[in-house]
Amino acid sequence: MIRSEFRKITSVRSPWLLLAAGPLIVVAGVTGLVQSGGNVHDPSVQSQALAHAGLAAIITLLFGIAAVAGEYRHGSITDTFLSCPDRRRVITAKVAVYGMAGAAAGLVSSAVAVGVTAAWWAAKGGSLQLSGRDTWLTLGGGLAACFAFAVIGVGLGALVRNLAGAVALALGWIALVEGIVGQLIGSGLARWLPFYASEALDRTDLGGGTRLLPQWGGGLVLLGYAVVFAGVAIVVTLGRDVT
Amino acid sequence: MELEVRGLTKTFGPVTAVRDVSFRAPAGQVTGLLGPNGSGKTTTLRVALGLVRPTAGTVLIGGVGYRDLARPRRVVGAMLEAAGFHPGRRARDHLRVLAAAAGVPDRRVDEVLDQVELTEAAGRRVRGFSLGMKQRLGLAAALLGDPQVLLLDEPANGLDPAGIAWLRGLLRGAADQGRTVVVASHVLSEVAQTADRVVIVSAGRLRFAGPLDELGGTGTALESAFLRLTAAQGAPA
Repeated sequence: MIRSEFRKITSVRSPWLLLAAGPLIVVAGVTGLVQSGGNVHDPSVQSQALAHAGLAAIITLLFGIAAVAGEYRHGSITDTFLSCPDRRRVITAKVAVYGMAGAAAGLVSSAVAVGVTAAWWAAKGGSLQLSGRDTWLTLGGGLAACFAFAVIGVGLGALVRNLAGAVALALGWIALVEGIVGQLIGSGLARWLPFYASEALDRTDLGGGTRLLPQWGGGLVLLGYAVVFAGVAIVVTLGRDVT
Repeated sequence: MELEVRGLTKTFGPVTAVRDVSFRAPAGQVTGLLGPNGSGKTTTLRVALGLVRPTAGTVLIGGVGYRDLARPRRVVGAMLEAAGFHPGRRARDHLRVLAAAAGVPDRRVDEVLDQVELTEAAGRRVRGFSLGMKQRLGLAAALLGDPQVLLLDEPANGLDPAGIAWLRGLLRGAADQGRTVVVASHVLSEVAQTADRVVIVSAGRLRFAGPLDELGGTGTALESAFLRLTAAQGAPA
């Protein structure tokens, strides 16, 4: 099953086009930070720049969604279940393959973040400090977020099945719903929500004043969401008729 | 290896798609599964393939349920109408994906492509395929595991006359090798030429199961028998 899922990814172009958007976002994000007056001599600005690596998690979320909902859309899920009637194995294989691919995409994004930051810092006369613990925590957090969101995407795609619906739900939640829910329940609870947790994990801190969990806590919470989504996806998929 | 449908009932919400249907499709014969649109043919095949859970009853293949087969594609080859392809995937890659999941060696991919006469189109993306070519690719997928049982839903759809003749030879040959062949269709003239046995369902109920000869054996005799049996109760859904 693992090999079959791997062949699915490598035999079509769309996943590559999608994943290529990750590094582009990172390049644009770092460039935007510098252009809007980020001080290249400030170590915290350097951290902020590198934290853009975590933005690729939005892409790996969509990538994970497409892994399952895309199969329902094209009708290829029928063939997948004919090959492997044990649907638990199908979802597990998808979680493994897409999780790994998500992590790989996170690695590429981290490398791009370092490269673009280094380029801007050189151009602006700043000195880049990559040896610090902070750097690796930031990049590692971004990579972990890319992994976790790919897995969450697989789960969401299996739950919603309608590709457009699942994508709209995911993007709507990120852009709008979680912020509103966060305000309703207050920051003490809001920091347990998935995207607040991811901001803690990948240190993007887009949420402004909200107090976030510590990085490790954000990581654990996000991992918890990934496990829950994957688990619910398996349970729901097992009992469902494929017509 | 026999296919046996035992007391199968399937309801989707308020709709009863199949109601207490039982029949056997023996090895070495082509069994035509006939019925009007919405009569329960496809649902029966989907239950047989473990895609849909029966409300009551079972379908056994050589005495075992599909979901309990260790390597199902090596036992049962299936082609369903709704089964789709990723439009951006090349035909050969589509089969390689299935081969990996089915535990079938990759050399089978080229063998079945050859068998369905798609070798020249193997490197093309499915998006550019005609309906007939997609049918052939679906058949290639069904044949991939060299299965003892073939379950095919409207396999002649979109094939040109030469393709239909070729398909007839393929099904006949498979049955003559001792395989179990079940073909769901509503093209009666085609079934009359290919099938040894027929099973007729209408509005989810079994109307007839037995040798084609009992219904007269010719296309016109089959048609009048079919219309009589399916008109007996209820309008087509």
